[in-house]
Amino acid sequence: MTRVSVNPGRVDWCGENPGIYLKHNASDEAYCVLSLFFRVSLSPYGRGNAAIVLAAPDASKGWPDETNFIITDNQRMMRWIVDGWVSKMPTFIGKAGLRHMSWLNLESVHKTPGDLKTEYRETLRGSTVTLEMIWQDMGPPIPVEVTVENSATKEHEMYSVFLEAKSADIKVNGTSLPGSVQSRQFFGRSMSTAFLAFSETWVTPDNGGDQ
Amino acid sequence: MPLSEPITPGRVDWTGENPGILLKNDDGTFSAMALFFRVAWSPVGQGQVLLLYGTPGQEQGSDEAPNIIISDNAELSKYLLDNFIGRLAAFRDAPAFKGLRHLVAQSVQTDGDPMSHRYSETISGEGTSVQLLWEDLEHPRALELMPDQVGSGMHTMFSVLVPAQRAGILVNGKSLPGKLGTRMQAGVETTSAFLYFTETWIIPPDAS
Repeated sequence: MTRVSVNPGRVDWCGENPGIYLKHNASDEAYCVLSLFFRVSLSPYGRGNAAIVLAAPDASKGWPDETNFIITDNQRMMRWIVDGWVSKMPTFIGKAGLRHMSWLNLESVHKTPGDLKTEYRETLRGSTVTLEMIWQDMGPPIPVEVTVENSATKEHEMYSVFLEAKSADIKVNGTSLPGSVQSRQFFGRSMSTAFLAFSETWVTPDNGGDQ
Repeated sequence: MPLSEPITPGRVDWTGENPGILLKNDDGTFSAMALFFRVAWSPVGQGQVLLLYGTPGQEQGSDEAPNIIISDNAELSKYLLDNFIGRLAAFRDAPAFKGLRHLVAQSVQTDGDPMSHRYSETISGEGTSVQLLWEDLEHPRALELMPDQVGSGMHTMFSVLVPAQRAGILVNGKSLPGKLGTRMQAGVETTSAFLYFTETWIIPPDAS
């Protein structure tokens, strides 16, 4: 297979999309915490920032009854991304928490990148919530390019640069959520469930994904 | 289109955003050249860098048309000058390359919407403010370019290109003279005003 220099597909959105998935125990089948951060630089609905935290992924309740929320400064864009991408990712498919999460207003977002090896932090504030997503002990950057068959949504092509983090923490109003980082099979190799994802681009193939 | 092997071979040199504007005189020479870098990962950390040749044909620019590099990460400026900008013939061979003044950035502001009508980056430091302004934006295209298709001649490059039909470079509120030209990239004619998002430069294994 040779490269096609100008991808004939439609660029849907691009930006940064790191995540942290935690389990109580390595042997657990399900994650106890699912979280994703978004810094979107281009989309049909403009630019924006967001984070999704599901600390009770199977609960049909939102914040503050359960720690299930999305915090964003562009709700329209994130409604589109949740429906078109997040809800189709294997770790989020069928999760009641995703349907019932509360939508909170984001007032500020601040990153503390450090040396990109020791610790990387995103801090989001709004709606009386302070969320800290912390990645620690990162590996080297790994460039990935993913076909429809290999992509998380099974509908899009995706390009990104991943950095695995050996450990991670998620704090909501100063309290760490339970669970720890695990490893999973991803892109044909064992990879951490905490990762930075820079320069991520999602493309709908010109055949509409019917590959 | 992505290849079937999900992990691209090679070493990431840097990744981030890299828009630019190249303005020309009537005789085809460059009247002003600007590149902006918002780097998400490099071996020397993140940062934002603006390179401006206000007077490309001379080592020393003027107050109105300075030759400067403004940055919030001096180590990143040096890394990009040595390893990237210095490999781009149009920038390396301009007399301005040797006369750059280095300024410390005090603010960086992004405005507009790259899928709408207008987008801008404004970077300010040590009394100088430079605004890059792109208008009449085309739809975004995902690019996958091989070493023989990029200016450095040595990288595999992934990016999202948004060409602009109109653009301007303003120094302390005053527009630099010149007009846009055309250029070819990957067999496609485009303009000399471009936004590049989610851009990744990879050194292939056989070049490492």
